Amino acid sequence: MKRTLLGVLALAVFFLGTGTPWAADATIKLGALYNLTGGMSSIDAPALNGAKLQAKLINEKGGVLGKKLEVIGIDTKTDQKAAATGAQKALSEGVIAGLGYGDTTYVMAAAPLFQKKGLPFVTSGATHPELPKWVGDYMFMVPFGDDDQSFAIADFTVKKLNARNVAVWTDNSMDFTKALSKFYMARIKELGGTVVLEDFFKMGDKDFSAQIARLKAASPKADAVFVSAIPNEAGLSVKQIREAGLTLPIVSGDGFDTELVTTVPGPKLANAVYFSTHTYREDNRPEVVAFVKAYEKEYKKPPENAFAALGFDAVGLIADGLKRAGKVDGKALRDALAATKGYKAVTGEITYSRPSMVPAKGVSIISVMNGKYKVEEVWMPKP
Amino acid sequence: MNLRRPRWIWLALALGGVAAVGLAQAAWDDYLLSIVNFVGIYAILAVSLNLTNGFAGLFSLGHPGFMAIGGYVTAILTLPASRKAMFLALPGWLAGIELPFLPALLAGGAAATLTAFLLGLSVLRLSGHYLAVATMGFLIIVQVLIENWESVTRGPLGLNGLAALTDLWWVYGGLLAAVYVSWKVKFSSFGRSMLAMREDSLAAQCLGVNLFRTRVAALAIGAFFAGVAGGLWAHLVTAITPGTFSLIMAFNIVVMVVVGGTGSITGAVVAAVVFSAATEIFRPLEESFEAYGIAEILMALVLLVILIYRPSGLFGSREPAFLTAGPTHEPGNHPATAKGGQR
Repeated sequence: MKRTLLGVLALAVFFLGTGTPWAADATIKLGALYNLTGGMSSIDAPALNGAKLQAKLINEKGGVLGKKLEVIGIDTKTDQKAAATGAQKALSEGVIAGLGYGDTTYVMAAAPLFQKKGLPFVTSGATHPELPKWVGDYMFMVPFGDDDQSFAIADFTVKKLNARNVAVWTDNSMDFTKALSKFYMARIKELGGTVVLEDFFKMGDKDFSAQIARLKAASPKADAVFVSAIPNEAGLSVKQIREAGLTLPIVSGDGFDTELVTTVPGPKLANAVYFSTHTYREDNRPEVVAFVKAYEKEYKKPPENAFAALGFDAVGLIADGLKRAGKVDGKALRDALAATKGYKAVTGEITYSRPSMVPAKGVSIISVMNGKYKVEEVWMPKP
Repeated sequence: MNLRRPRWIWLALALGGVAAVGLAQAAWDDYLLSIVNFVGIYAILAVSLNLTNGFAGLFSLGHPGFMAIGGYVTAILTLPASRKAMFLALPGWLAGIELPFLPALLAGGAAATLTAFLLGLSVLRLSGHYLAVATMGFLIIVQVLIENWESVTRGPLGLNGLAALTDLWWVYGGLLAAVYVSWKVKFSSFGRSMLAMREDSLAAQCLGVNLFRTRVAALAIGAFFAGVAGGLWAHLVTAITPGTFSLIMAFNIVVMVVVGGTGSITGAVVAAVVFSAATEIFRPLEESFEAYGIAEILMALVLLVILIYRPSGLFGSREPAFLTAGPTHEPGNHPATAKGGQR
């Protein structure tokens, strides 16, 4: 018992010890909240790498407002509780802004705390178009909204692939995939197309034979199938649809922006796949080329996915805002960020011109033929 | 039994707690407060699961399910009517309701209790591993239901923008209530019959213990506090999603009960404090060495060491002597029941 008491005492002392914030204003601190362990780590870990790389490059050029940027990486363990305490930790260390996350769930646990403190939170990869409305005027998005990416691929399906009758497969365990399907179907109907079949699966499913059988039996026949999935199911579904002898185009959103789409089915079967994603893959704008080169130099491997570039852009966007604000202050930074116009990010130009505060960014349509990725077009939303 | 001594200590402890809460609210920053709040909620969860798993020996993995039910009920009841209309398609009578925090919390707890009662009627004929699997099934059903009942729960996205109503006073009050009820149950004839049932159900039945009623009661009381904890959780995070209430969380709470000592209230509280604060303690280590995930590995090691050297948990089935009237009145101290903690 004595030992336990001692332990509890030691804990208390420890807490008191960490309670005093070390007030060193030599750097400008940014709190980077990411799920570095757990289910989201394949998306969030590259994003933090991108964010740290951007800070390093900026610091090599002399920093911002004469100070160095410091990105404090905080692991929130794919857990909302950890996201909430992680945000409090970042705030207690005196950050000027927060950034992070590739998924809306965790943003909603962390961002409102920044909003309350009057400090901006910039999400690098969460794409729900109503995020800024839910959190408030200190919430900023680097990526496009789910509605934009769905509209882009829907337009492409109807106008370029001439597919009028589409089947829609949805992963119904995730908000992201559900939202994507909802916006896609709405746009298809708007363009005069028909949804001939709606089918569902769940994250972690390995066998799509039931869905494939229903797809084959659909009447009228489907001209294309929209698979709303995240990376793991993306590769598997393409493989199994092609193995079943179906050659119809497979279309999707940025959940398909992964090597798994070609490596799992193999180059022979990875055919006639089209997806909308962040303008980054197979792009040769100077920002993209410089980013890929710097990333390879720093981490000895190419960027894992678009989220690395989005994390890089989040820090870049904040640094750009700080420069224009001219001082290290939450309100001034928010105003500067809101006024962002034509910031040349790796994943496309960012301008906050819409009332929804979702950036009107270009969306790449990428085709996969014989295992090769190619940019078909860049879709621009209405500003 | 000499009750005077523990009463004094209880009063002193409760008042000391009130002073500590007041001091913490005034002096600590939001980061520390949020850690302490989560620690407190986990302590409520561990203490209430201890009542089900520890006293009555019902190995339940369904605790997060009750928490989710309590959390959603509380959140929907406190949500302003205007926001309800924006997010949800509720039936008319529910859409207009807007309750203060306390009644909403109690309603959440009551909903969880009612669910536990209905669940108990069907699954409490089972015991041991079968009960564990059945309660796990219950947890999964709750999750799937929440994910798909979009008009009420908004699906996997969950409810967000909830008012930040939970503070240390609420959490402390909840914990105090949970500990008080647990304590009263443990040191009553009702609690004795639970412990007896845990050790040997046949013998207990021969002595006149109504097994089924005792089991249902143990599950339902535990569920009430889980529901309240769920409501506190929702209004602390200010968002609630079905993914939070996972099997992983169920295991985390079970670990706290087992490490603290199955049946020990003090043990449940201490283990909850240690396990839920540990990840934050190792955080500076993770961040300075960029060794993310090391906290989980170290805690797993600690868990193994405890289970090897203290197989019946830190406290066994007992409470520390200074809190109880005397060692002889401890149910867990009796040689015949001491093995209970080793399960």
